[in-house]
Amino acid sequence: MTQHKKYVIIVDAAKCIDCKACMVACKVENNVPEGFWRNEINVLGGEDGSLRTEFQPSQCMQCDDPSCVAACPVQATYKKENGIVVIDPEKCIGCGNCVTACPYNARYRNPVKRIADKCDFCEDRLDRGKEPACVVTCPTKTRVFGNLNDPDSLVAQMIKKEKLIRIAAPHINTQPNIYYFEGTQLLDWAVTPMLPGNINMPQNFWKSKSSSKEG
Amino acid sequence: MTKKLGVAAIIMVFMVVTIGVAMAEGKGNARKGKYLFRKSCRTCHIEDGSAKDLSPVSKTQADWQIIFDNTSKLQCKEEWEKLSEKDILDIHAHLWGHAFDSPSPAKCK
Amino acid sequence: MSATKTQMISRRKFLQLSGALAATTAVTNPYRVLYALTRDKGEITPDEIREVFSACDMCFNKCGLIAHVENDVIKKLDPNPNSLKSRGMLCARGNAGVKQLYDPDRLKYPLLRKGARGDGKWQRLSWDQALDHAAEQLDKIGKEYTRCGFLFMAGTDMQSTFVHQFAEAYGSYNVISHESNCLLSRNRAFLDTYGVMPTPDVLNCKYVIMPGSNRFEALVTPDSMDLMTAKGNKSKLVVLDPRFTKTAALADEWYPIKPGTDMAFFLGIAHVIISEELYDETFIKEKTFGFEELKEHVKQYTPQWAAKETEIPAKDITRIARELASAAPSAMVYPGRRSSDYEDSTQIRRSYAIVNALLGNWDQKGGLQVPKKIKPGSMHIEAPFYEDNPDDRVDAGRAQMMFDEEGSFKHTRDAVIEGKPYPIKGWMTYKTNPMQTGANRDKTIEMINTLDFMMTVDIAMSDTAWMADLVLPAPSYLERQDPLSAFLAASTCSGVITRDPVVPAMFESKPVFWIVKELAKRLDLGEFFDFTVDDFRKAQLKKIPQVAKALKEDGVYNITGPSFGIHKGKPFKTRSKKIEFYNTRYKDKGIDPMPVYKQPKTIPENHFRIVVGRNAYVTQSASTNNSLLWELEKENTLWIHPKPAIAMGIKNGETVFVKSLAGKVTIKARVTKETRPDTVYMDTGFGVLSKGLTNIFGKGACIAQVLEDKADKISGNMAMHETFVTVTKT
Repeated sequence: MTQHKKYVIIVDAAKCIDCKACMVACKVENNVPEGFWRNEINVLGGEDGSLRTEFQPSQCMQCDDPSCVAACPVQATYKKENGIVVIDPEKCIGCGNCVTACPYNARYRNPVKRIADKCDFCEDRLDRGKEPACVVTCPTKTRVFGNLNDPDSLVAQMIKKEKLIRIAAPHINTQPNIYYFEGTQLLDWAVTPMLPGNINMPQNFWKSKSSSKEG
Repeated sequence: MTKKLGVAAIIMVFMVVTIGVAMAEGKGNARKGKYLFRKSCRTCHIEDGSAKDLSPVSKTQADWQIIFDNTSKLQCKEEWEKLSEKDILDIHAHLWGHAFDSPSPAKCK
Repeated sequence: MSATKTQMISRRKFLQLSGALAATTAVTNPYRVLYALTRDKGEITPDEIREVFSACDMCFNKCGLIAHVENDVIKKLDPNPNSLKSRGMLCARGNAGVKQLYDPDRLKYPLLRKGARGDGKWQRLSWDQALDHAAEQLDKIGKEYTRCGFLFMAGTDMQSTFVHQFAEAYGSYNVISHESNCLLSRNRAFLDTYGVMPTPDVLNCKYVIMPGSNRFEALVTPDSMDLMTAKGNKSKLVVLDPRFTKTAALADEWYPIKPGTDMAFFLGIAHVIISEELYDETFIKEKTFGFEELKEHVKQYTPQWAAKETEIPAKDITRIARELASAAPSAMVYPGRRSSDYEDSTQIRRSYAIVNALLGNWDQKGGLQVPKKIKPGSMHIEAPFYEDNPDDRVDAGRAQMMFDEEGSFKHTRDAVIEGKPYPIKGWMTYKTNPMQTGANRDKTIEMINTLDFMMTVDIAMSDTAWMADLVLPAPSYLERQDPLSAFLAASTCSGVITRDPVVPAMFESKPVFWIVKELAKRLDLGEFFDFTVDDFRKAQLKKIPQVAKALKEDGVYNITGPSFGIHKGKPFKTRSKKIEFYNTRYKDKGIDPMPVYKQPKTIPENHFRIVVGRNAYVTQSASTNNSLLWELEKENTLWIHPKPAIAMGIKNGETVFVKSLAGKVTIKARVTKETRPDTVYMDTGFGVLSKGLTNIFGKGACIAQVLEDKADKISGNMAMHETFVTVTKT
């Protein structure tokens, strides 16, 4: 009986205080260069001076049907048996197709390594028996990490017990593996993925993602 | 003879009253008092010492006042007799001024 | 070359690299240092990987951490799950600790000022030259102006105790802490009500009313996390704040209270609780003093009256009072932390303390607690007495009831400038930055300019270091051995923590203990420092071997057992031995024995009140230059409500002038409904003078430049919300 692992994260956005601990922890753990992040906190409100009322962490959803994998011309990005979507740094040519193919804005092109980069649930840490950096460091334990295929895991129990949702991307269902509690208000931030063949790359593609949605 | 004693008694009473008033007004120098307390009292009143470990916060202001009003009843009264009036006022200023119910309780000994 | 191909560099190489970076930081991207540290799997054998316990020092909380070290380079700081107080977390600042260590902007060797103060012209000195010079100045000033002519100021740090010991041996009792720019009036108020500063058991509280505090941004462990846990357990959170903070965003109710009227709100609450008899009569009878006086006193403070003052509807004040009372004793007015706001800030906090007493939450689950603590041993010095010294502190008598061992920065600064009652001509600061945290920066500069000599020991070139004559480099918390630190926290998580070097100290940095020991030797005071930090810690641990064992095995010693119900029948450390609604000592000193409401000053036309605050990723001025945190906030902004902004034609992102009687700054406006139309706000820690802070130099504005330096009358705590500013287009 060797059932594969299926790693997921369940996010209770109501607990997020937007303290950015997960973002800095991730950045240090994974040597993410200045101007880029592997995870982010989406904010409801704040535009036009309005009140900011909900803070919702996001990162790579480790989709079961990942559009980024489909978009990669050299098979550098692929889904492992443990459910994590990874990038082979030896194969990646840094073309950026996968970056725009992600409806969740979870990838960026690392200007130092000149290859695509994104959250891998801190696989190095998992190998050392530790949970992802964003999960352990969180003051309010907004994220719960675990193996969904282990019926004793907290995530498996939460999936059964709690009312959870996944954030749908327009025009595509990539089967994401980050779950949110029902009642999360921020649901509309996923974008239509731009798959290969579309030569109209966004203007800001080579520029850094801004650190927050305000201002 | 009795007359002389009477005068002495009056002087004694007067002195106690003056010291009492000075004490209440905090006339002593608490800084000097801290030094004197360490030098004169903390030789014995120290952790693992021959007497009970003491610091200003060991007692309330009222309790310190009782001690100072009755030094002759203390086991170490002989030590007290070695101190000058000014020294006692200074030590009082330190202990009473930083007692545990004082406005500025001492942090360290 | 891809990063993964980079050879693992040795520490020596890293030093060279970061030295090179330091020379060219202005044009080098900060990520280059991290790049240099990129892990290369397979190059490291397991015995080169270490996991080391320590305690965070990015703010005052001392959260437990585990450093992941590869080849003597710290790669990652993780929370220590054994630390009950920090609830197994590490915030953004804690995670950015690696960048305090590996920061090209760090001070690397002793520096002597060459040009005018603040010109930034420095000469590198050897440690011997630097210490000889400092000792000479200490000796000279001590002889000329008495020992009290030298002022000492040490920030919140586990080695600050050695600075205090040095000051004592040297003979100066002019020692001030950072606290008079922070929380002294809160401590004053609770001490004068309860005889002690209790800690709030937020975790088990069913109803928290939080006036002014911003616990989801100004993180305090365990309160910030416990507040969220309590929220999950259906506890109610009511926030009073002129700003829509993230705490307000996540609260059940938010009231943008009129600034400076919190006392009116709580007197109104007290009125309802007393007039409707919602209190526990037995508790009041057994544990409190002056209830009848209070009853009479608060008759005038009806909810209708309070509504007019606070701009919070009377029906809400009445309802909140009833809800609080029905949740009592697991209900509280959160005491808060920083209280440096108004000239009657002690009396404002007295009103919080009084409502807590009416709720009977003392020593209760979900109330105000004084948890059990453990007392480490100590190593006292027998300091000499210098007969020529003046009788008292230089700031003595400037406030009604100052804390002797904390002093007042505001009053000391005034005294130094005036030269009264006696001159102070020397100043040593350690890891504190009054140039940024003390209101009225120009006045701090004026104070420094009256001095003959100023020396600063710090990790980076803070604005305070920038003004000093001698700057000495200290190691970060990850590179040094510290004494034990015992801390109190409610909800059963008090404990003890310590630090050992995770990695060797970089550059020529030396801990302040070593510095004062060396100075003592040169001043013939060596006998007072004839020990090591290790000796000191051994003395601390002498009677508590269980602590030594826990620190070794778990990185923290947690005190277990309940933190409530442990003071039954014990007298309070007050004059009346009870909780004092009515304070007779205040009465004797001519201070209102119960808080009497005074209206805050009216904001003049075309002015705003400016308030101070924080977010979760800066620790005032101590972390804004940290590359990782700087990325989250590259400059501060002025929060201004759209109503006045539109009226003045100020657009979001536009640069404006902010001007007060203290000074003038330029800053970008953030037009937002997250502040009241009459209140503006900016984060602390920007607009620096120091060119040694390369990320933030030239960015944003310094709030200390516009804050006027008023003080709380009772405690001498700085009052920072008494400043009115104009905002104009540039």
